[in-house]
Amino acid sequence: MNGTGTEDTGRPSTNWSFPRPFGWRTVLVIAIAIMILFRTGADVGIGPALIQSGEGVAAGIGLVEESQVANGFGAILGQMFPPQIADVTEISRIPGFDYGHLPLFAHVETQMVTVQSLDPETMRMTPHSMKREVLVEPYGYVRQVAGKLIETLEIALWGTLLAVLIGAPLAFLGARNLSPHPLLVVLSRGIVSLLRTVPELISALFLVLAYGFGPAAGVLALALHAAGFLGKFYAEDIENADPGPQQALKAIGANRMKLLRYAILPQVLPQYVAYTLYILDRNVRMATVIGLVGAGGIGLELKGRYDLYQYAHVGTILIAIFILVFVLDQLSAWLRRRSM
Amino acid sequence: MSLVIEQLSKYYPDGTVALADISFEVPPGQFCVILGRSGAGKSTLLKCINGLAIPSEGRVMVDDVELTPRTLRHIRPHIGMIHQSFNLVPRASVATNVLAGALPAISTPRAMLGLFPKILRDKACALIADIGLGEEHLRRRVADLSGGQQQRVGIARAFMLNPAYVLADEPVASLDPQTSVDILELLEREAKESGTTVLCSLHQIDLALRFADRIIALRAGRILFDGTPEMLTRSQLDQIYETRQPAPCPAAQEVGA
Repeated sequence: MNGTGTEDTGRPSTNWSFPRPFGWRTVLVIAIAIMILFRTGADVGIGPALIQSGEGVAAGIGLVEESQVANGFGAILGQMFPPQIADVTEISRIPGFDYGHLPLFAHVETQMVTVQSLDPETMRMTPHSMKREVLVEPYGYVRQVAGKLIETLEIALWGTLLAVLIGAPLAFLGARNLSPHPLLVVLSRGIVSLLRTVPELISALFLVLAYGFGPAAGVLALALHAAGFLGKFYAEDIENADPGPQQALKAIGANRMKLLRYAILPQVLPQYVAYTLYILDRNVRMATVIGLVGAGGIGLELKGRYDLYQYAHVGTILIAIFILVFVLDQLSAWLRRRSM
Repeated sequence: MSLVIEQLSKYYPDGTVALADISFEVPPGQFCVILGRSGAGKSTLLKCINGLAIPSEGRVMVDDVELTPRTLRHIRPHIGMIHQSFNLVPRASVATNVLAGALPAISTPRAMLGLFPKILRDKACALIADIGLGEEHLRRRVADLSGGQQQRVGIARAFMLNPAYVLADEPVASLDPQTSVDILELLEREAKESGTTVLCSLHQIDLALRFADRIIALRAGRILFDGTPEMLTRSQLDQIYETRQPAPCPAAQEVGA
């Protein structure tokens, strides 16, 4: 028995009831949770989705012949790869084309194409070959996508900048320990909640109507939603900041703005940088999406190509978005390390 | 030109009496130690003097001006404060922390941009040299300094505006005995050089006896003794720290529960 820790040490026995790790309450909560999962799972169709996924995997490794999911993915993926690199344009469609001044790396190709046309004598569609001159830019599409990507980044950047400019003052007014008046706290928090409630995609829909198609609507859509996020989190950090330095500066008669600048901002700055980088990261991802409703950026291109069933182009765009998000991740991780 | 406390009382909503009928006057240049156990009301008393706590009754006169919400803004810059937990911004540099002590003296736009006039920057450097730090410390973060060095920075900050008064709230409570002596020597030297009146709360009797021109001893919010260290008798000391009629000690309650 020695060393097992169970031997009698001579202390009097207490006969206390020791708290058990879980009781009937826990069991009840788990039972209710399981019931909710079953009910909601049926609503969203999680069962069929799981079965379909299983079939897809089975088809992938050759156990089953047919699978709807595998076929669907296979069809699109098969057309996505290889992704579109070159850009081919019919020369007759380029106004004022100058054979003497081709774009960099580009060359002119002659293609034979078969065209169906109506024969006036037989009144039938008859195929016949014709020559067509095209301008081939070997990296043309990559360049186009890169251009759209830069526009997307610019939308995200301005969306973030405006979000900080709107969110920070709202946070200062909405932080209880800094706000000049309790009414302003309520007001500013209301605005911040409202901004956060409206998803970018929805506000972009309306902003496109107001500002017209293009990046400006996208910038505003991103900025308004992100301002709601930043306004909330900036304010919470101000409220949670160590009151010591604030008291010290208050004691010698520094006003609110000076408190903010010298006692609060130095404390919360690393967190602010982290939030802002998160927003930038999120805005880049959202900027790729809001193009779908016409608010500029690469989403517009993606939607256009998808609607034309040009999946190779879609493949290029998806790879480009992935690279962008990955690079940005690395960059923000590096910035965060430096700001600590 | 002096600090006058008249019949000051402070009650909390739950009925706790923090201060009861405190009156005294501190002449210019005096090093006055407020002595007492934890919870005796030392900190509350100091906070009532610069408006960090609002007295329930009585009044505070600073240089013949009564402390009110209106006059607070003008009085506060004349009262420097040194805090028990230093209350510096750990992530900011020594230079910024010391300069922050001069914030009331510059306009808000200048403060936002960090544009302190040369005269204040020179003053900060002179003070930082005075407290025994070097030029290499200017850019260093306060978080990288030792506790003693941090409190030195706190003292430098308190003296930035040549205050007529300095309130030191348990300035050495978290420091070791030797560092405590060094810090209080520094505070005494700075105060004597600039003729500043110091109100310093302490709980260590030996330090109080060594540095005070005058000791005001508090117990349960009341003045128990007011006089020079030489006048303080053994039995009065025992009274300050006595536990003869023990108010139930929180630690004992916990064990019993």
